[in-house]
Amino acid sequence: MNAIAAYGLLAHGLIFGALVALLPLGGLRQRAALTATALALIAGIAPVMHGTFGTPSLTLLQLALLHLANRAPSPLTYRPALGLLIFALLFYPAALGWGAFDPYALGYQPWPLLAALVPLAGVLWWQRQDVWLIMLAVNLAAYATGAFANLWDVLFDPLLVMLALIIVGRRAVTRVIASRIR
Amino acid sequence: MLFIIALGAAFWRAPTPTAPAFVPPPAATPSTLTASFSSETLPKVAQWAQAASLTQFPDGRLAAAWLAGSEAGNEAGNEESGIWFSTLGKDGWRKPLPIANRSSTAGGTFAHVRRIGNPVLYAEGSWLHLWYVSMGIGGAASSTLNHSFSTDGGKSWMKPSRLQTSPFANISTLASAPPLPLADGGLGLPIHHQFIATQGEWLRLSATGKVLDKVRLSQDLPTGQPAVVALDARHALAVLRDAGPEPGKVQIATSNNGGLHWQAGEALPVSNPDSPVALLRLKSGRLLLAGNPASGRGSLSLWLSPDEGKTWQPSRTVETAADGGADFSYPALLLSSDGRIHLAYTWRSQQIKHAVFSEAWLDGGQP
Repeated sequence: MNAIAAYGLLAHGLIFGALVALLPLGGLRQRAALTATALALIAGIAPVMHGTFGTPSLTLLQLALLHLANRAPSPLTYRPALGLLIFALLFYPAALGWGAFDPYALGYQPWPLLAALVPLAGVLWWQRQDVWLIMLAVNLAAYATGAFANLWDVLFDPLLVMLALIIVGRRAVTRVIASRIR
Repeated sequence: MLFIIALGAAFWRAPTPTAPAFVPPPAATPSTLTASFSSETLPKVAQWAQAASLTQFPDGRLAAAWLAGSEAGNEAGNEESGIWFSTLGKDGWRKPLPIANRSSTAGGTFAHVRRIGNPVLYAEGSWLHLWYVSMGIGGAASSTLNHSFSTDGGKSWMKPSRLQTSPFANISTLASAPPLPLADGGLGLPIHHQFIATQGEWLRLSATGKVLDKVRLSQDLPTGQPAVVALDARHALAVLRDAGPEPGKVQIATSNNGGLHWQAGEALPVSNPDSPVALLRLKSGRLLLAGNPASGRGSLSLWLSPDEGKTWQPSRTVETAADGGADFSYPALLLSSDGRIHLAYTWRSQQIKHAVFSEAWLDGGQP
């Protein structure tokens, strides 16, 4: 069995369950999330998500697991979502061919990238962002298993960026509506 | 503490490959074969066929893989397409076997697959590699590169795995030309990217098949489907399909450090009507280029370079026709161990044709 393929399928099943758990289902929330996860794996939703979005990052999977475990609030608040969105807006165009520099290639031999994570971890530790620090450690541990060829794929993915876009967009829309009501 | 342990483990796992180098080609020696040319079509397996890839086993047998399906241009027909495999025996091409399709790919990758794309076949010792693309949604720009292999000469194949080559849903990587062996036991696979930018790329694979690096074959124009030959341990030449504005010319990129970096070169004085090209280093050290001339895919022509790609002269026209169904494209070249040159190409979008000839025939000799 291909470990990364199995991971991708199971992770998308859990992510689908977490998406369903976002719905206002009251006391049925946990059962609905469990049913949705099983349904995604059995009825072919997870393979379609896997085929469409690729292998999900460990960051997205951990956020989904935290949501399924009802650990509120989510660590992906407005500021980290905005930071991720700005980074993705710079990263994706360059990685997909605009310009000569390919930042995605850095992830295949990621010693400089790993070194750059040290000050980031220092900032997270200084600001007592323990959840993010643990998530980053789990990401690195997952990379160390050798299942992922590229470190970037462990850290973030397009679905996570879409989630960040929704969080940032929701706040912007809320502000616009509030300013009109005033 | 957990972070420090994980960081240490990640540093330990991060690959630190040596500087890349090509396996140098054998020293140039004149070909002693007399002028010869013959051709035959491979057994027809479906209504349409395209994009053959050739390789040779260590025992000298030839093998081919190609894409075939029913009802060309029809979405249902495209979805039923698959990759077929055949070997060349003394009595001709054997009955083709299906080796990859939608369901086998979905079963190996645990992902929805809508259709299958072009293959690349490559024999490396007792291993027979197969790279091919699959699409989940969308067209060619949504392609993901898969890898499978056989250790019994193509009778059975391992379940495919997807190569992680793109950060955006791992899409838009296609392969069409054979890899080059590298000095460290790995392979360099020419690929191309087709989403936002259309460009050639170079994928460095370890001896275990893991992606170690990806490098762009920098070009000012949209280009694709690179074919690469090594000139020595450090130098290589890549020729690329011109996907820019007409009239197109065969574009090139060169590397002088084993594929670590690639630089764009001046386009060849060879027309390219936005169609794939193939490149081969011959026994004599000359380079052979196969592709469609300015008139389009109704002709398939050959060009020779005596000086490692600096100058090119037209050699032969392998096939030409003026009717509407004339399509002789997707050439694949192979130099077999006996010094003969093999060319496989899409014949009228219906079948794969295999031509065998010698260097003397390229020079104008009559069979």
